[in-house]
Amino acid sequence: MSETPNYDNMYDAIVVGAGLAGSTAALTMARDGLDVIMIERGPSPGTKNVFGGVLYTPRIRELTDFEDAPKERYVAKKTYSMLSEEGDETSMSIAPSSWREEPHNDSWMVLRRDFDEWFAEQAVDAGATLITETTVTDLIKENGEIVGVETDRPDGELRAPVVVLAEGANSLVSEAADLKQQDDRDNVAVSVKEVRKYDREKIEDRFHLDGDAGLAAHYFGDGACGDAVGGGFLYTNKRTVSIGVVYSIEDAARTDQTPDEVLEEFKQHPAVAPLVRGGRMVEYSAHAIPEGGPDSMPELVHDGAVIVGDAAGLVLNSGIHLEGTNMAVESGYHAGRAVADALAQGRTDAAALASYETDLRDSYVVENLDHYGWFMDTAAEEKEFLFDDLPRALGEAGDAYFKMDNTPKDEHVSEAKSRILDATGGWLGAAKKAWKFRKMLS
Amino acid sequence: MSIKTPSVPDTPEVERETIEDRLYTVKYSDSGESHLDVKVEGICEEKCTNYECVNACPADVWRAEEGGVPTIAYENCLECGTCRFACPHGNVEWEYPENGNGVSYKFG
Repeated sequence: MSETPNYDNMYDAIVVGAGLAGSTAALTMARDGLDVIMIERGPSPGTKNVFGGVLYTPRIRELTDFEDAPKERYVAKKTYSMLSEEGDETSMSIAPSSWREEPHNDSWMVLRRDFDEWFAEQAVDAGATLITETTVTDLIKENGEIVGVETDRPDGELRAPVVVLAEGANSLVSEAADLKQQDDRDNVAVSVKEVRKYDREKIEDRFHLDGDAGLAAHYFGDGACGDAVGGGFLYTNKRTVSIGVVYSIEDAARTDQTPDEVLEEFKQHPAVAPLVRGGRMVEYSAHAIPEGGPDSMPELVHDGAVIVGDAAGLVLNSGIHLEGTNMAVESGYHAGRAVADALAQGRTDAAALASYETDLRDSYVVENLDHYGWFMDTAAEEKEFLFDDLPRALGEAGDAYFKMDNTPKDEHVSEAKSRILDATGGWLGAAKKAWKFRKMLS
Repeated sequence: MSIKTPSVPDTPEVERETIEDRLYTVKYSDSGESHLDVKVEGICEEKCTNYECVNACPADVWRAEEGGVPTIAYENCLECGTCRFACPHGNVEWEYPENGNGVSYKFG
């Protein structure tokens, strides 16, 4: 550990965390001519980061020579599968031909260790300074205004007019400084993931892939993550497959099966086991994910500071859309622009930085959070139907509909219908459920 | 929580890794002291009967002790933060390991 040089007031802005949101903010500000310092606690950017597996890249592609970025495979196909505990699978597969063409719907599997380091380098190339193995422990406030950060380095105080808090899901600094409250556990999910290594050919044969094409597979129902609000996922990389589960910490705390055991159960499901057999686990990882939606978004703008990315709760789960990397980047971009504008006016108060929040609210980020904000609460209310009864009913309905015996098909059809109607509570129940979830597909 | 998924004929055997197997794949650098603790020992002893930190922890860091404060194997910690949200009494003292120590992912 070396002595920290005295950087006090040498910089226009401090960015806490060199993940996606932090590096985007640093890159945006550095391109605008600001002197920016990024403080990353890991040995290099990406070493402390975990995500499901898809990077959404429209803004990154605008900001960088994205062709050079370390990528794994683009999403050529998405599947959604309902799994019952008994072993049923009911699936839908989506593979539009346009996804196979550049820019591949801006959806790429990446590994964060590689990608985040490359992305932070883009900010450094633009003039930002990066220091690693340094944890920001507190904010320095003077007269109610944030004027810098404390770090765990010796003589670790560092002052600058603006601080961008891109500290991720565990936003200890923002919480300690009363810029936000710790999320309730029913608004946070735990995710565990393993990365398994196979021969490249094995992955391409097993998942019917070629070239850089990849599969993003999503699983719901209590065959995926037990009696909990959540799901399972599987993403194909070049030479590895990432598989994991993500579900509410509320459910994780109340049941005595640990997250790694839930993941093991998911892997044993007959729909999943053939996809992950063999190979070798090369890494296990876990992270908390803020899924509280618009209601648990903190105040984004403060005197001398803005909050971006996971720290700002910018994660979307609509049941169909599972996004966050794009929102982290978008928030870092708008925050970076707002800081540059405020500093150009010689101001750093909340009013001067407010365009960050306005721009984010006008963007798809908050628009989408507001539109789908109802989903997580409704999913929790309807847990038994959504994750238990429905996957089983769909499996049984499929069984009944295609049944091979000596009775006419209309009997099979009515049997299939009754399986679904039993689960939904009759026609009226089905109509109510359809109404309740109507916005899921709109 | 669900019971074990019933085995279905012709489902391939898939390796069932233990938590030890899992943690063995993770690269750590030990900071030499715990970055985790409980805030008030009495709260675990007097108020907690169900060890929700133990249930929710994906890394076998929190381990139940009979009627007392859980033991904390901080060396296993993946820094996910789950325990700080999981404890219904808000009794988890949670910091990052100093100077970048702790978990260091190769893939992420």
